Amino acid sequence: MPTHQRWICVICGFIYDEAIGMPEHGIGPGQRFEDLPENWICPECGSPKSAFEVYTGI
Amino acid sequence: MNPVARSAVAAPADPVGARPSSRLEIDGRLFNPYSKDFIRSPWDAWDRLVRDYPVCWHKDLQMWVCSSHDACSEMLKDTRFSTNYKNWEHAPAPKPEADKNHFEKAIDAGLFAVEVREHLRLRKLTMPAFSKPVMMKIDAKIRDLIVTCFDEIGSPATFDAFEMIAEKLPVRSIARMVGVPTDMENFFHDFAVNVVTATRINLPLKRREQAIQDTLPGFQYFLDLIRQRRAAPHPGDDFVGSLISASDNGDRLDDYSIVSVIQAVIVAGSDTATDLHTYALQGLLKNPQQFALLKQQPELMENAIIELLRYGAFGKTPQFRFAAQDAEFWGQPIKKGQSILLNLTAAWVDPQKWPNPRQLDITRKMDGNIVFGAGAHFCIGTYLVRVQGGLMIQEFARRFPNAELLNGDGEVDYDYQHHNARRINKLMIKTHL
Repeated sequence: MPTHQRWICVICGFIYDEAIGMPEHGIGPGQRFEDLPENWICPECGSPKSAFEVYTGI
Repeated sequence: MNPVARSAVAAPADPVGARPSSRLEIDGRLFNPYSKDFIRSPWDAWDRLVRDYPVCWHKDLQMWVCSSHDACSEMLKDTRFSTNYKNWEHAPAPKPEADKNHFEKAIDAGLFAVEVREHLRLRKLTMPAFSKPVMMKIDAKIRDLIVTCFDEIGSPATFDAFEMIAEKLPVRSIARMVGVPTDMENFFHDFAVNVVTATRINLPLKRREQAIQDTLPGFQYFLDLIRQRRAAPHPGDDFVGSLISASDNGDRLDDYSIVSVIQAVIVAGSDTATDLHTYALQGLLKNPQQFALLKQQPELMENAIIELLRYGAFGKTPQFRFAAQDAEFWGQPIKKGQSILLNLTAAWVDPQKWPNPRQLDITRKMDGNIVFGAGAHFCIGTYLVRVQGGLMIQEFARRFPNAELLNGDGEVDYDYQHHNARRINKLMIKTHL
C-alpha cells in the first residue's frame, strides 16, 4: 500500500494527492485526506469530503 | 402566453427599505426572461438583479429568483434546496408504481431525485467515461467527428455556424460517447429537448405533458438496447455496457437507473452544449485580439472555454430548485414547496465577482466560477463539452483563420421560444477564403 494516496471527487473529478497537498490553499505535502477538516470541500465543485474516494486510476 | 407577459405589473420594491424578514419583490417590468428585448440584451436587467435584488420574489413568475454570484454559489450547495421537482408545491400528485410511464420511472431513479448516497453511486459510474482524468480519451473518441463536421462545411464564402456546427456536433459527440449510432442525431436531439422541456416548471402544464409523451420513444430505445446487451454474452465495453456491468457491493443497476444516467448525459451533452458552440464563436470573432491570443497560446484553451461561456451568458431561465423545508436565505423567507429560479447566467456577469464582466479575457482567473454549477449536481457533461469546444475552436481556427462575423454581427438571430436558453439559431460566418 502506498504511503500517500490520491482521492478523487466523484462529482467533478478533482484529484487530491496527499503527496502534493494543496500548498496554494495552505495544505502542505503529505497531508492525509482523512486529516483534512471535516468541513473541507472540493475546491473545484464544492462537494463535501463524503464525495471523495480513493483514486486508483481509471 | 407566458405568466410575465399577461400579468399586471406593480412598482418594483425598494431594496433600501427591505428588512430581513420582509420579502424583496420584483415583477416582469424589471425581469422578463421571455421578452425579445431581454433575450437580445439581458445585461441591464441582470445588472439590477445582482446589485439590488440578489434574492427576491418575482410576483409575475410566482417564484423566487436567485441572481448574484455569491447567492447562487451558496444555493447550489445548500441541501435545503432540492433539484427534485416533487418538492414543488405544484408538482403532480404521486402515482401508483403500476401507472407510471418510462419517463416517470426514469425520473424517480434519476440523479435529480435519488438520495445522496445513491446519487454519489450513480455519479461514480459516469467517471470512467466523462471525468477529468479521461479528457484525453474523450479527445481521441470524438476528434474525427469534429473533422468530419468541418469537412461537411467545405470552403464556402459564408456559412451558418448554428446550422453547420452547433446543431450537429454536440448530439453526434454524445451519441458516440454513449455508444449509439451517430447518425440518429435528430432522434437524440429531440429526446434531449423533450426530457428537459418535460421538467421545465416555467412552461405550461400541457406543453410539459406533451413533452413527457414525446420522450417515451427515446426511453423505449434505451430500454430495448439494455435488454439486448443483457442478453448478449458480454454487455460491451462502451458506456452502456459499463453501466450494465457496474456493480457496487454486489448490487447491479436496474434498467431505469441505467436509463436515467444515460438520459442525464445526453441532456447535459447535447442541448446546452449547442449554445457553447455559437456563443464561443461569437465571443471570439467579436474579440479578434483574444482569438489571436488563443491561436498563439493554445494552452489557454480550457480556461478560454469557461470564460467564453461566462462571457456569452446564454441562459434565460437556467435552473430551478425547490425548497424542501421553510428556509431563510439571504434574509428572504422561502417557504417549503416554493420554486426558485437559479439565475446562474446573471451570476456569471456579476461585477462583484467578475471585474469588467462584459469584457472577454481568456486569461482571467476562473477560481470559484459556477459556469458548470457547483456542489452535488455539478454538470455531468462538463469535460465532454470542454474537450468538444476546444477541438471545435482549434479546427475552426485552422480552417478559417481570417473569419469574421458577417456584416459585423453575424446577422445573429434567436429562437425566442426556446425553453431555457437565449438560443442563437443563426450566426453567419464570413470565411475570407
